[in-house]
Amino acid sequence: MSIEILDPTHETGAPAFALAPRLPSLAGKTIGIISNGKRGTRPFFDAIERELTEKHGAIVVRRVKSNYSAPADAAIMKEAALKEAGGGWDALIAGIGD
Amino acid sequence: MAGERLNIPSVGVMTTKFVSAAELMARVLGAEGYPFAVIEHPISSASDAALAEEARLTVERSIALLVRPA
Amino acid sequence: MLLTSKRYDVDDIMAAQEFYHGRGWTDGLPVVPPTAAAVEACLEWAGMTPEQLVGIEPVRERAISAEKLAINAVMAGCLPMHFPVVVAAFTAMLQEPFLLHGATASTGGCAVLIVVNGPIRGELGMNGTFNALASSDRASTAIGRAIRLILCNLLDARPGDVDRSTLGHPGKISYCVAEDEENSPWLPLSVEKGIPAEASAVTVMAAGAPRQLMNEWTTEPERILDTFVAEIRANMRHYSIYAGNYAIVVPPQLRAHFAAAGWSKADVRRYVFENARIRRKEWADCGKGAVVGSRGEQEYAGLASEDSLLVIAAGGPAGGFGAVIPPWFGGKSNAVTMAIGACFDCEA
Repeated sequence: MSIEILDPTHETGAPAFALAPRLPSLAGKTIGIISNGKRGTRPFFDAIERELTEKHGAIVVRRVKSNYSAPADAAIMKEAALKEAGGGWDALIAGIGD
Repeated sequence: MAGERLNIPSVGVMTTKFVSAAELMARVLGAEGYPFAVIEHPISSASDAALAEEARLTVERSIALLVRPA
Repeated sequence: MLLTSKRYDVDDIMAAQEFYHGRGWTDGLPVVPPTAAAVEACLEWAGMTPEQLVGIEPVRERAISAEKLAINAVMAGCLPMHFPVVVAAFTAMLQEPFLLHGATASTGGCAVLIVVNGPIRGELGMNGTFNALASSDRASTAIGRAIRLILCNLLDARPGDVDRSTLGHPGKISYCVAEDEENSPWLPLSVEKGIPAEASAVTVMAAGAPRQLMNEWTTEPERILDTFVAEIRANMRHYSIYAGNYAIVVPPQLRAHFAAAGWSKADVRRYVFENARIRRKEWADCGKGAVVGSRGEQEYAGLASEDSLLVIAAGGPAGGFGAVIPPWFGGKSNAVTMAIGACFDCEA
């Protein structure tokens, strides 16, 4: 009866990280804005949404994380990645710290 | 950063107060130099006009980080 | 769930013990072998993903993931339902005011006192009565121990390694107490720190060992507090004169006198703040005359403000005992209170 057990120590080495390709422009693109839900940030994101839709012709989708200190919900990220069905987001703006 | 991993260009927006923590986080997670759009702190108590101006600046900075004209 | 920690195969539970002991991954006591299933169960209960970043320890620039916290929590004997408390406690320790590296590496040898408030105490069967400061129940013991293992394994805070404590104290093994809110006339510690009463919360404090005192010969709140004040003044004379977070633990027999006199925790904190003071020249009474110098009349306060005192209602029903828990070293580390699993200044 053998047991498989996990290493409890800090293991060095973060996975390699490369930026996604950038967009040629914002016109007609769907931009997802994820807010961390902190009180007082909504007017700011409203202003950003106005700026993006009125001045840059983008389509904006707004989402709020359900747990402000955790990474964005799996459901939100799934929605963002949904390119195949014609949905998904072309860019993402995350409100991280206020 | 989760967005970048999904191949969606992303930018994090934060106030000046959070920049050093975010730079630390980016470095530790292997994404040194990851770009952020930084705005003046605090945002929750700014007036309407100040907010509109910060939003305009944020969008400008975000565009610089999200868009690379072909 | 995708766990990314390295895996090892061992023959059985006893082999697992030698495997972990031999690598310096334990506190010397047996550990529960952390299998993937056990670790996943903790993460699922807490609604966390393995790679979720709990925080970053800034001095060593180490990212702390939920997976690593869960592995150490399982080893300590935590059940999935204990895990959210461990996460909240370590998250609180990573906040800047706590000064985690200083608190755990210094020669001063403090331990991390964890005070638990709110409904979670009942859910976990935590006992804030008999033996409140010493392994009072399974949850308290396991949660406190988890923090020790996390410090050892994720931050290398092992004796002689990053942890340079000269002496340390037994609280480093596990130092977790549930406040006895039901049997107390007072507000819970977390509510005093701004957390809503319906929420569960932890408060972490870099703390020395408890100093037990006794006063069964009065019912006057001021006289009872004079004994606590004397113990604080003794710590200032004998260990460190600098102001910081002190905690006092007040069991039921003494609490009854405060209740009868209508004294709130705020009243207690005010009295202690005003009276826990010494003059530098008192050092000459306890062998430190060499450093009194010309400033003998200089007064030092044990508390920088009334809010620096943590009043904890805990302890068994009989005995006019109380305890004073001094800070690691003055005001270098500040106690931090954090809600378990909720954000209170978020929009609905």
